[in-house]
Amino acid sequence: MAVPKVVIENQIRVLRLAEGDMTQQELADQIGVSRQTVNAIEGGKYSPSLEAAFQIARVFGKPVEEVFRWVEKR
Amino acid sequence: MGASFEEKSVWIQLVSLVLGLGAYFAVAGRMMAAGVTALPAYTVLFLVSVALMVAVLVAGHVAAAIASKPEGRDERDRLIGWRAESNSSWLLAVGVFAAITGMLFSLSTVWIAHMLLVSLFASEMLGYVLRLLYYRRGMGGA
Repeated sequence: MAVPKVVIENQIRVLRLAEGDMTQQELADQIGVSRQTVNAIEGGKYSPSLEAAFQIARVFGKPVEEVFRWVEKR
Repeated sequence: MGASFEEKSVWIQLVSLVLGLGAYFAVAGRMMAAGVTALPAYTVLFLVSVALMVAVLVAGHVAAAIASKPEGRDERDRLIGWRAESNSSWLLAVGVFAAITGMLFSLSTVWIAHMLLVSLFASEMLGYVLRLLYYRRGMGGA
């Protein structure tokens, strides 16, 4: 049975812009990671820990599933 | 994307390792080829190369810290470090087994010591290169 490739997509960039052009550095400072880590999460190069994912969702006042989506690609 | 302080630190460690131990192996290789088998003859050379490594590490980190404020390690840095170490430590294990095998065959102490040093050098270098790759290419499936 072929296992589908799973990609975790996110809406961080859209949410940042909606929050009055919040910068990656501002988001990084609020969740306690470097700006480069926020950049990597946003670009899909790094899947954050559950704790960081919840912290990001909390900053935007959204449930975590509105920030991150589990997408299966075949 | 600009490099974080941690990524710069990995570059500095890689350069320091290549310069320090690279210089050591360049000279020690000639000494071994010339038939120098007394281990103490290599000690001063090794200490000089360690001092060179420390000097490059300190100067590099001071320069990097002046250029941009260190942020401290975060979860991505830690994961990259663990993954790189887990994928590079086998080289050190190969060196240890090779050294043990060399001992069984009564290989000279100089060769055994250098076998261990080469495997440590290779393992560390692979670890740094992997870290840099993970920083640049990412770890989407982590």
